[in-house]
Amino acid sequence: MDQKEIYELLAEKLGPAALGFNDEGVEAYADVEPGSIAAACTFLRDDERLQFNQLMCLSGIDWDGYDENGKGKSVKILGYTDEGQPETSDHVSEGDFGVAYSLYSHSRRHKFTLRVRTPRATASVPTVSGVWTTAAWHEREAWDLLGIRFTGHRDLRRILLEEHWVGHPLRKDYQMPGTWDNVPLHGQPYCENPFPPIEVTPDQPAGDDPAEG
Amino acid sequence: MAIENIKTKGGWADQDHVPGIKSELLELNMGPQHPATHGVLRLVLHTDGEIVFKVTPVLGYLHRCAEKIAEGVNYKQWVVYSDRFDYLAPMCCNHAYVTALEKVMQQEVPERAEHLRIVTAELSRIASHLIALATFGLDMGAWTPLLYCFREREVILDLLERISGGRMLYNYMVPGGVRYDMPKDNWAADVLEFITMLENKKIADYNNLLSYNKIFVERLGNVAVIDPQTAYDYGCTGPVLRGAGVKFDCRKDDPYSLYHKFDFEIPVGQGEMGAVGDCWDRYFVRVCEIEQSCRIIRQALESLPDGPVQAIDLTKIVKAPAGAAYSRVESAKGELGHYIIADGGQVAFRNKVRSPSFCNLHVVEKIGVGQMVSDLVALIGSLDIVLGEIDR
Amino acid sequence: METLTDLIRSIPGAANMSDLAMHITISAIMATLMFIIMALCALVFTWLERKVAGFLQSRYGPMRTGRWHGWAQAVADMLKILGKEDIIPSQADKGLFMFAPILVLLGSLLAWAAIPWAPGFVAADLDLGLIYIFAVSSMAIIGILMAGWASNNKWALYGAARGAAQMVSYEVPLALATIPVVMYTGSLNTQDIVIAQQGGILNWFVLRDPFLFVAFFMYFIAGIAETNRGPFDMPETESELVAGYHTEYTGMRFAFFFLAEYANLFLIALIAVMVFLGGWWAPIPFLDFLPPALTFVIKGILMVFLNMWVRWTLPRVRVDQLMHLCWKVMIPVTLICVVGSGIWMMVSGQAG
Repeated sequence: MDQKEIYELLAEKLGPAALGFNDEGVEAYADVEPGSIAAACTFLRDDERLQFNQLMCLSGIDWDGYDENGKGKSVKILGYTDEGQPETSDHVSEGDFGVAYSLYSHSRRHKFTLRVRTPRATASVPTVSGVWTTAAWHEREAWDLLGIRFTGHRDLRRILLEEHWVGHPLRKDYQMPGTWDNVPLHGQPYCENPFPPIEVTPDQPAGDDPAEG
Repeated sequence: MAIENIKTKGGWADQDHVPGIKSELLELNMGPQHPATHGVLRLVLHTDGEIVFKVTPVLGYLHRCAEKIAEGVNYKQWVVYSDRFDYLAPMCCNHAYVTALEKVMQQEVPERAEHLRIVTAELSRIASHLIALATFGLDMGAWTPLLYCFREREVILDLLERISGGRMLYNYMVPGGVRYDMPKDNWAADVLEFITMLENKKIADYNNLLSYNKIFVERLGNVAVIDPQTAYDYGCTGPVLRGAGVKFDCRKDDPYSLYHKFDFEIPVGQGEMGAVGDCWDRYFVRVCEIEQSCRIIRQALESLPDGPVQAIDLTKIVKAPAGAAYSRVESAKGELGHYIIADGGQVAFRNKVRSPSFCNLHVVEKIGVGQMVSDLVALIGSLDIVLGEIDR
Repeated sequence: METLTDLIRSIPGAANMSDLAMHITISAIMATLMFIIMALCALVFTWLERKVAGFLQSRYGPMRTGRWHGWAQAVADMLKILGKEDIIPSQADKGLFMFAPILVLLGSLLAWAAIPWAPGFVAADLDLGLIYIFAVSSMAIIGILMAGWASNNKWALYGAARGAAQMVSYEVPLALATIPVVMYTGSLNTQDIVIAQQGGILNWFVLRDPFLFVAFFMYFIAGIAETNRGPFDMPETESELVAGYHTEYTGMRFAFFFLAEYANLFLIALIAVMVFLGGWWAPIPFLDFLPPALTFVIKGILMVFLNMWVRWTLPRVRVDQLMHLCWKVMIPVTLICVVGSGIWMMVSGQAG
């Protein structure tokens, strides 16, 4: 089925919650209101003509600082300075969070992409793990790395990072940790070098072929 | 956790559960260091004797922040990180990334480069499936197929070293083509010789030694059956989905690169040794896929055109216009996809990796319940997970 | 034994030794000899196992230590294992932990007392020889349970539970398979069993009647299961339990388990040879010039080789399939062999 037709069926079902359809880029996508994403996904999975039975990918996105003009001037992530200290920045993050759902239908052989946007302050999207169970782990990952809260998720806890990790690393304003468990990170010395530099004279004069031993 | 509160469906639990007796489950840790978990996977099991009542995978021991790094290094530099996901079939991972990137960039790739990509990706797939067979046999206690499969894998690694410079991790494909052309030292003839030997002799060897061995079949037939509905629901792809009887392969059903030009079949599990979708089916799908990969390689090498291997000058900055797209390839483990959001610069804005093993492993939480511990090991071996992909 | 007795009495000053003192001396000598043989067999068989495994897997195995095909690899391994740190887990039950390997080793060592190496040369000429062997080798089961429990490791406990269940179960077909032989011989004395097979290969019990032929294979399979080897190594599956009941053991204690495994292996092989394959008798009169002990040992080594061959070829049988095989397949078959052999004996007129 054509992407536009799929969107029309969806818009018919969702009414005002279907915010728009964008097919100018490489891949067409539909914007949906976050509150009705679960209803949208249920419809997409169950409708006879659509039958999107597999959620291929659920990507969490931090839209902060995205260069709308396409000039590559998006906000850069924070890393470590040359001295080994975590970089800091004055940039105040305001961008939305987004989630992109890439769906596929095995029986109808068509794909579709949905996107939702949620403001940074609330960062909350209803879960679709009731529609496709695989979303449970993808949403845990989005929570872990981006801090997007999925309401209604049965078991929203960190999946890739440790339980007591602080912060959500994939956010654009995430500052790298300086130490972890008292271990200094990235380029800071553990301790002073106990071996003073010494002069080394080679056994053989330079120019001998090492392969000859 | 008291047993009478746990409901399990099927498996052994029904036979063994004696109502009215209050007993506790044993909490076992199949820890990150374990010979059978195919990497640093931690499984917290709650068992009653040999029967598993609850499986909780704990991930993240191999998390290397690849997606964050994608937002820090430019497109050309990130190819090397894509190798590290499925380090047993790195060419497929390279292929996934550059295909996705070229979709966003809307970049054409020269035909010779596409052929070389297909040949190296299929060789990588064979190498990965050989390890899958080998380690699966090892999990089941068959020590000898391990050595036989690794002997074949050595040849593949040598061949790939000649073309790319690396034995295990290649950094070979670049946006717009491949990094190096075929070496002039008879490489294609050596590849053809190897796959002829593989097709004619070795696969028959593996089948005689392992696939149809009565003990192996008894261990795997009817064990841990994954039906198609569960597979769709949990996002399982690759040999897991095909073993369940679903004839779906990204190379045929969502073609990318030049796969539509080649003639090959999609092996599907048929329930030869038990139910459709049991461990043996998933295992045998991989054996058959090795044969099909050999066919593809032969066709790709025989029709290899002349021409350049790179469409972009890599000494210049590579930028992708603003846009977003999801693109997937059939990696050895399943559907490996990238959702790349580009903003017009040379660094990706977001690169989300959809790894097949991540979704395949999830099915353990459902199917592992009610199995014996040995069957759980068989299940994990048959899913063929690689932790580099799961944790990224 | 008479030659040994005469030998000792011929030493100046020992001619008037009392019978008790003679008995104790001979027992001490034989025990030491058995222990040396056991240690040697462990050395030889570790090397043999690695070479057999290598050749089956199209590689060479040890090739360096000792120049010729790495024969000194086993010696090097023993030296290495003696040098390892002796770790006892802090929460482990120390007494049981330390006693378990001794019990397992004893279980295999004691059974060697009744093996007849040559005519008249047996450490203990017991009238109950065969039963004694099976009874005493059951001690190892207690040792395994102790090891698994005392390790304070849930996986070790799994291995111990499986191992105990397996070994106890497979004792039954193991013993049952030798009953037809006892019926033919009319005696449990191991020497008598071997003497009854003289006269060339056709007189060996394995070829006397078809039920005994089947019983031989039942014995062999049950023997593999008894020693926790080959397709029946569930208790020590490396892919599930790391090393099963001896996961937490290091150094010399681990060496005891190791030694016991290979001693058991040789023991089972020697019993198979003794009971079914003619003991010290040569298969054809042409080979009579070989000393009987050498023939016995060579046949034992061939059986061990067969055992290793099976181990490196076949995958592992799952625990419940293993128990099913024992109780529902092998015991009925061995019982049929017993009854069938009896009928054959009566019909062919050999009943005595």
